Amino acid sequence: MITPYCRLLPYLSLTDSCHCTRYQSEVQGRLFPCGYINPGPSASIQAHQIFHFYHIFHHLAISIHPVLQGTEAGGLILIQDSVNYSGRHLKSYINTTLKRYITFPWHEYFQCVVHVLGFEASEDELKDGLDITSAQRLHFHNAYSDPLSWTRNSQFTVHQFTLEDIGTLLKQTPQAKAVTLIIDSLSWILRHHDPAVIWGAVRAVVSLLHSILHQQGTVGRIRHMATSVITVAPGTRGLGEEIFSINEDLTVTIQSKLSHPGHTGMNTEESELADPTANLTFNLRLSDTEREAKEKLALPFDFSKEKKSALLHLGPSSGRILYEPDANDDYDPEDPEDDLDF
Amino acid sequence: MRMFAELNSILNTSPDSFKPGEFILVSDKHTDASFLIHHFLSFYLRAGCKVCFLGLVQSFSHYSAISQRLGVSLTQAREKGQLVFLEGLKESLGVLLQGEASKGTRAVDFLRDPSSGLRGLYDFVRDNVRGGGGGEEWGPPVLLVDDLSVVLSLGVSVGAALDFSHYCRATVCSKLQGSMVMLVRCEEEEEEEESDEGSERLLRGLIHQCSLTLQVQGLPTGYCRDIHGQVEVCWRGQCDGQQTQKKLFQYKVHDKGASFFARGTSSAVL
Repeated sequence: MITPYCRLLPYLSLTDSCHCTRYQSEVQGRLFPCGYINPGPSASIQAHQIFHFYHIFHHLAISIHPVLQGTEAGGLILIQDSVNYSGRHLKSYINTTLKRYITFPWHEYFQCVVHVLGFEASEDELKDGLDITSAQRLHFHNAYSDPLSWTRNSQFTVHQFTLEDIGTLLKQTPQAKAVTLIIDSLSWILRHHDPAVIWGAVRAVVSLLHSILHQQGTVGRIRHMATSVITVAPGTRGLGEEIFSINEDLTVTIQSKLSHPGHTGMNTEESELADPTANLTFNLRLSDTEREAKEKLALPFDFSKEKKSALLHLGPSSGRILYEPDANDDYDPEDPEDDLDF
Repeated sequence: MRMFAELNSILNTSPDSFKPGEFILVSDKHTDASFLIHHFLSFYLRAGCKVCFLGLVQSFSHYSAISQRLGVSLTQAREKGQLVFLEGLKESLGVLLQGEASKGTRAVDFLRDPSSGLRGLYDFVRDNVRGGGGGEEWGPPVLLVDDLSVVLSLGVSVGAALDFSHYCRATVCSKLQGSMVMLVRCEEEEEEEESDEGSERLLRGLIHQCSLTLQVQGLPTGYCRDIHGQVEVCWRGQCDGQQTQKKLFQYKVHDKGASFFARGTSSAVL
């Protein structure tokens, strides 16, 4: 059941870094550990809209270990968007996460809980579009109304973004075996906190980063921390990639499977490429007679064998050079270059 | 009403029916989009809303004179209590001339100490945007800001400006279901310098927060007598499953309004 592909939907692309080893890096004099990044199918897919959907699932499967136990497998998944393509597909991700545990039977023993730390959107906005059962399993922490304590009515402020306070939040659901923390958005927090401080706090996190709001260096640092980065970018497709679309009810449908690079991507692409000769006010198409005439036309510098031999064979009085040396020419028939003076 | 009829139909609104909780961002580059601010001011006053106007760049009489031509009297609205007008220029005189000793409103505190941010301005907005007691009951509250990018040149950081707009949105749009219109003017920055504190960064941050943007630019081909520029209207899909939708129009500003038309269909051309 593949829904008709809708052009207006932007694609999500997944970029995996290729680093396999754990490393630390020094930022402003403080050491902060970067989580190791899973080796994935190699990189360079940033510019198009590939989305290794199964790969994301794979990551999620790894990351279900409880956050509070501090196992290494927790990862940071970063959704990076731009002004033109809003990362509101975070909602779709939330929806998928919540639904996944229903569809995968071997996880039925786990209780999945999703905590959302909402700075950018209100609870109503975020829950809009999710069905009721999903919305109930979502724990929304309101950091939207008063993140800086200006109205002294705050439930969660940006300065509370520390390991202890987040741990307190997550402990509100002690029965959960698996927790996913979604941060909407990391950009908000980065405006008020140093990136090094942030990474001290969380393990399994999905967060939204508006990439253009920060310096390149900051974005780069956060990307290095992340296990997977989803970049939301505009719409053309490449070869050998998986394509998907997000439907009205925020579920995701795979349009075409990942295949041998260089192959099947082509077929779907050609059939769906817009016909450039359509919808014009002038006619760019050829009728059959016109096509025949076009094919019959002999091009001036296209030499067939007959034409070549006709040109090369000199006729009886064509193309002979008659040379009469005058007084200045020192013409020696045995050494024609005698008059050159080196 | 006829003055901006085309714009109203493009945005699918009218003073009688408009979407609540909208954050409309007007931005301009190489041109002056303040005609849109005048439009929205008269629009919301006609709709009977309680309007809080932060006029940071022009005097009250300037807006009053133009609104007169659009058929709305700002003086009357202010007397009735429908309009609360912060005259930024007048308030700033107090701060700049008297310094610490001035007893002006806290709203322009950022002039005294730019690093303290715009919290004072937000407090002013919050106090004035709720329906005042006594007198007539006005419609949903509306906040208009002309313009927000001027605070950057007064030393306020981009982050502080974005915090201010976030709080305004949380209070005016989400809590009170009112509307907000902000004007941001982009400077002409050089390509090589990626200035972090520039108005571009402010603009992008605001675009992420808003639900409707009207980006006004001069024509890329230069000055034209009959077409003053182009407007890109972008509806950002935030809820109801809407997708982001964009439309491009050209406009011409008249004495009493502006006309909008699709590209290439200016009456001077056809």
